[in-house]
Amino acid sequence: MADRRDVAAHPVYLGGGVADAEEQSERKFIERLAQRDERAFNELVELYETRVFRLVLRMLGRRDEAEDMAQEVFVQIFKAVSTFRGDSKLSTWIYRVSVNLCKNRMKYLARRHSEGEDELEPVAERAALDEAKGVTFGDIAQPDRMVEGYQIERVVQQCIAELEPDFREVLILRDLEDLSYEELSEITGLPDGTVKSRLHRARSMLKANVERKMGEKIR
Amino acid sequence: MTDPGHDEANDAAAPAAQEPDESLRSMLRGALREEAPPPNVLAGVQKRIRERSKGKFYADGWSTAKHPPLNTYLVTSLLMLAILGISYALLSPLVGSPVPVRNQPVPVQLIPR
Repeated sequence: MADRRDVAAHPVYLGGGVADAEEQSERKFIERLAQRDERAFNELVELYETRVFRLVLRMLGRRDEAEDMAQEVFVQIFKAVSTFRGDSKLSTWIYRVSVNLCKNRMKYLARRHSEGEDELEPVAERAALDEAKGVTFGDIAQPDRMVEGYQIERVVQQCIAELEPDFREVLILRDLEDLSYEELSEITGLPDGTVKSRLHRARSMLKANVERKMGEKIR
Repeated sequence: MTDPGHDEANDAAAPAAQEPDESLRSMLRGALREEAPPPNVLAGVQKRIRERSKGKFYADGWSTAKHPPLNTYLVTSLLMLAILGISYALLSPLVGSPVPVRNQPVPVQLIPR
């Protein structure tokens, strides 16, 4: 992942692979942040903006909301960074702040019945599920297959949007952001076993929902 | 909708979270990939912090900019020089040239005691 390479290459994180040096530089960086060092905070935003934006976009499913939310995440981080005790990695803490704010926003949007205004459009036709396996426009040579792939993506997006926020959260963090179970546990504040069972149920529900909408089994 | 808390007390009995089959994962990745570049978040964040802190933080937009606006400094300097030059050109005719004093000096007269 490009932005992970960016993080590794950043002076703050340089340490030649030595964990202690990395931890020390992260501690210094956090100290600067806690002292409200504006330049340090600029560095933090530049380091994490892509990852935070991508995460909140996947959680909220709407670009306009995601842009607003990504900014709000960093404002809250700026306000609360002095309370960060360093029990977890900085990146994990940032994920936790992002996810919690997203879940609050999702509840707020649900109350306002905004979910009905989702950018997703109803699916007019159904296509074979095989087309959705990592299908992108670039991968499809024939226009008819491109349309099918596009429709399947819409179905999957719709099914993800229909998942409860708690299920969506673990699914996105594990299967899309590639975080470990330990990190998931720190972000959600749940025991390992609960994270695993929730993830299992999230995948099952998503799969069943997609199959129901498409009328076919995922192979 | 399913309650996330439902049955999670029985985690030990819950099925282990097996890794998803690749078809599900690649389907997810395909559906949620982001094609458009992310927006520039930094400027918006700075603006919000500046407003909410009532100018305590990020009060000086120039020094906290992502890239120092060298062109702005240069243009401002040139503009100031131009204003000074124009002012001098406009005001100097009004001053005129100095008029020489033609009066002869009065001879000194010594007063006898």
